[in-house]
Amino acid sequence: MSSWILLPVFLPVLSGICLLAASFRMHLAQVRGETGSGFLMWALDRKKLHTFVMAILGITAVLALAAAWTGEHSVTLFYLMKDVPVYFHIDGIGRLFVSIVTLVWVLAGLYSLAYMEHEGEETGYFGFYLIVYGVLVALDFSGNLVTMYFFYELMTICSVPLVLHNGSREARMAALKYLFYSMCGAYLGLFGIFFLYKYCGTLAFTAGGSLNLSLMQGNEGILLIAVFCMLIGFGAKAGMFPLHAWLPAAHPVAPSPASAVLSGIIVKSGVLAVVRVVYYIVGAEFLRGTWVQNAWLVLTLLTVFMGSMMAYREPVMKKRLAYSTVSQVSYIMFGLALLSPDGMTGALLHTVFHAVIKSALFLTAGVFLYMGGRTRVDQLRGIGKEMPVTIWCYTIVSLGLIGIPPMSGFISKWYLASGALNSGTGVFEWFGPAVLLVSALLTAGYLLPVTLNGFFPGEDFDVAEVVKKEPPRVMLVPLVIFAALTVILGVMPNGLIGYIGQIVSALV
Amino acid sequence: MDFSNLLHNYQEAVAMILFAIGFSNLLLQKNLIKKIIGLNIMDTAMYLFLAVKGYIDGRKAPIVVDGVQSVEAYVNPIPAGLVLTGIVVSVSVSALMLSLTIRLYRRYHTLDLDEISTRLKKEGL
Amino acid sequence: MQFVQNLPFISIIVALFSGSLSSIIGGRKARWINIGMISLVTAMSVAVLVYVLGTGESYVYMMGHFPAPWGNEIRIGVLEGTMAVFFCVVMLLCMIGGSREQFAEIEEGKLNLYYIMVNLLLCSLLALIYTNDLFTAYVFVEINTISACGLIMIKQNGRTIVAATRYMIMSLLGSGMLLLGICFLYDLTGHLLMSNIKEQVHILDQSGQYHIPLLVAVGLMSVGLAIKSALFPFHSWLPDAYGYSTVSSAAILSSLVSKGYIFLLVKIFYRVIGFDVIMESKVINVLFVFGIAGMIMGSVSAIKESNIRRMIAFSSVAQIGYIYMGFGLGTEAGVIASLYHIFSHASAKSLLFLSASGITDASGDSTDFFDLTGAGYRNKLAGVAFTAGSLSMVGFPMFSGFISKILFAQAAVEDTWQLLPTMIALAISTILNAVYFLKTVIRLYTPEKPKVLKKKNYKTIHAADNPAKSVALVCLVVLNLVFGLCSEPIVRAIQQGLDMFA
Repeated sequence: MSSWILLPVFLPVLSGICLLAASFRMHLAQVRGETGSGFLMWALDRKKLHTFVMAILGITAVLALAAAWTGEHSVTLFYLMKDVPVYFHIDGIGRLFVSIVTLVWVLAGLYSLAYMEHEGEETGYFGFYLIVYGVLVALDFSGNLVTMYFFYELMTICSVPLVLHNGSREARMAALKYLFYSMCGAYLGLFGIFFLYKYCGTLAFTAGGSLNLSLMQGNEGILLIAVFCMLIGFGAKAGMFPLHAWLPAAHPVAPSPASAVLSGIIVKSGVLAVVRVVYYIVGAEFLRGTWVQNAWLVLTLLTVFMGSMMAYREPVMKKRLAYSTVSQVSYIMFGLALLSPDGMTGALLHTVFHAVIKSALFLTAGVFLYMGGRTRVDQLRGIGKEMPVTIWCYTIVSLGLIGIPPMSGFISKWYLASGALNSGTGVFEWFGPAVLLVSALLTAGYLLPVTLNGFFPGEDFDVAEVVKKEPPRVMLVPLVIFAALTVILGVMPNGLIGYIGQIVSALV
Repeated sequence: MDFSNLLHNYQEAVAMILFAIGFSNLLLQKNLIKKIIGLNIMDTAMYLFLAVKGYIDGRKAPIVVDGVQSVEAYVNPIPAGLVLTGIVVSVSVSALMLSLTIRLYRRYHTLDLDEISTRLKKEGL
Repeated sequence: MQFVQNLPFISIIVALFSGSLSSIIGGRKARWINIGMISLVTAMSVAVLVYVLGTGESYVYMMGHFPAPWGNEIRIGVLEGTMAVFFCVVMLLCMIGGSREQFAEIEEGKLNLYYIMVNLLLCSLLALIYTNDLFTAYVFVEINTISACGLIMIKQNGRTIVAATRYMIMSLLGSGMLLLGICFLYDLTGHLLMSNIKEQVHILDQSGQYHIPLLVAVGLMSVGLAIKSALFPFHSWLPDAYGYSTVSSAAILSSLVSKGYIFLLVKIFYRVIGFDVIMESKVINVLFVFGIAGMIMGSVSAIKESNIRRMIAFSSVAQIGYIYMGFGLGTEAGVIASLYHIFSHASAKSLLFLSASGITDASGDSTDFFDLTGAGYRNKLAGVAFTAGSLSMVGFPMFSGFISKILFAQAAVEDTWQLLPTMIALAISTILNAVYFLKTVIRLYTPEKPKVLKKKNYKTIHAADNPAKSVALVCLVVLNLVFGLCSEPIVRAIQQGLDMFA
């Protein structure tokens, strides 16, 4: 019996619901003007709340990693419809994603402990934070397409309150936009699932795809349309053109640690969904050389370039980072679209690296907000003198994102470029790397000014006025860890590359 | 087109014309009383249709007076029964419609449904 | 013959007589008779369903022991049994959940009239479900219309009377067409019992005689019933009728009354005409087009609406569109999906109406969208229930709406030309649904500013303040989850029932 692997799903979800209930009672008590008692008081006490959240996060993390790394578990929970079970199966790619999710979730959670004091409504925030974690673990463990869709939708709904956190008009509009795009996307995905249901022997994930070739005869055209719909649909979560517009609206209005997990992790579930569809259901072979692959490549390159351009022109720090996510996640999609071993290795490597780096970047933006409410890039002059450790971390991860050795981003981009050069996709062989290069330059252009202005504010800046003041330690530690990981993964990537190579060799 | 069937079945044709008149009155008239009249014309057309269909030339109503005759001598009583049921339904529905009309007239002093609607919108209720 | 076979007939009679009984006693006692009667009928329907599931075949119950072509019959199969149980359960929950509003909004002297109408409504719904005779069906369609009209206008204000009048006019147009269609069929076949008509229609179809009159009859009956169940262009009465009547009326009307007509239509398709004949006629294509139009237009009107009750009412227009679209696909899978959607829509819509009344209670009885800010905190249970109902309507996994959407899409994939319009309409309509329902949910959980809070006449409502409604809401949420998570036995029952129809 391996049903214990569902523990890391249910534990955070249930404890999150408890926190929500407490937060609910709190609102009620406020409306009625009474003081609460019992569990309510307990949840109101910040210290105890923090201990509880960190304990649950820790236990779940251990459980999730244990479940992921102790062999191939499968569990069938129940049957949703005839022939459609809710089924969990842990495989190589699920393992990889669960590990990233856990890493980022625990560190961003740690950071939230201090940061959320400034945003308020902590109980509710942590409630949803825990629930989304559980749902994501379930998403990564899903063993068939319907289960994955199920948790994909659940993730959308549960993460909306994170965007909605401060309840302002702007946040509400952003949340609606997020919901709208996600629903559009998810529905396009569902539309494809119906077709695949007809043409696939099984919706369970099988390395290399499970298309039934005899059923498919003569229906390739419509199936390609269905797959394309799914790519667009699940690409919405990954911020791929044309359904990318929610991302720059929704990520910046969320509290910074929530933006970090939104940009670092939640967009990656779009990537996971695309990987599952393309490599585990349809099979790379089916798409190679078709119009779908070409259209997909064009869309990703367009998104890469457009995202970088928008980021370059954006003055608000968090929005700039959100546009950067649009562009960087499309690097991953580009790698997947190449349908070649190197491209896919690069894509999965970039998934890991980008999760680490983008989380770190959003957490830094959060520090700027927390320490003095600075939102715009031009307010950051001289900031290096004020908080040198933070800015050093920022600089390290920025260099990683640009792709300068020995930081990690270099390796993934190397694989992406070499994958493109050997992919046999015609014009994209040279056009792809060229776009990646231009985009890398733009990345440097939008990330490095913060460092430059931070350390070298110019002649007219009065250095003497600056008080050196780093953020609290719980906020600083995650940043340092992320920065260290960026360097370590860049210097010693062989283990990771080997592991990803194993996954990829079974697929392409 | 061959209209001989139409002439041959002129009674059914009349029933259909009446039905159309009643239907369009019920649908298009603004005045509620005229609508109810339309409803009644429509229902009457149905009775005519059923009665015409249920009658066979030269046969009698199925009431046995002087010993049992052959089945061929009688018409089927069911259409007449249907007409009776239909009349009951139609009467109750007309009564309900009339009572609704009375209520509306007491409240708004008009029988024009559209005018009542615009007035309701103005009231903002 | 076993005793349990008598139960469908007995349940119709019990419902009818409890109506007569209520006319001579006071309102509050009438309520107990009503609740007791529905519970009794529920129990009897469950017994019948268990019996039919056990024997695995349908049976015919002769009224007055006259054999087939002469007597009147009722016929019970798995689908009829399931429908009857479901209708009874939903009606019971709606009546229990809205009981406080019934006492508050209906004049004391007219209270027992309300329960008479509800009893008659249940009686006519059961008769529509069970009957095997077309003319009996027509009579009960009229009884259904009259009692539904009573439910609408029992809460006396200008809006409801106008709505009731409009409803009557539309319904009368519809039943006129239905009656004409039935008379045509009777004229063509010489029978009124469904099974006998079907034999004759089959012969006519084989010989190719009377092709056009048959087509006209089918068209008249389909369009007549479509008008009565508020398919898109005929829905003008609906928002006022659902929006301003008392809450249990709105819930019952939207979830049961229109569904009764639709179920009759399914019976006409399968048991009277035969589904292959229907397929050949182009009538279902007309239904398909109007269904699609309804899906979109209903949602668009709902988005524009700022009154929450009317918004839910417009959403009904869209959902009825889904059901007709399913018929219009012209496959058995489409009909199964539509029948499943009858269940899922009825459970979600009654939940939405009941929870909306809980929400408006907590917002100073205002139904205006902006007054609902933060109502989810003031009435916790209603807020949660409304969220659950919205998610179900939007088609979120785990809730009933998701399964019916899957079934619709699977049905559409089998088909050829309807595929693309169906998928596009499903996509657009899902998104539009999401826009207005989730907008409302977000509004419910946006905390109101303390300054405004003091000014407005808000109050906090606990689950224990109105235990009847709380119980009903919880039961309906559970019902939605059951339909969303254990769809398989229900789909199998529908399938089995349709097989028995043929």
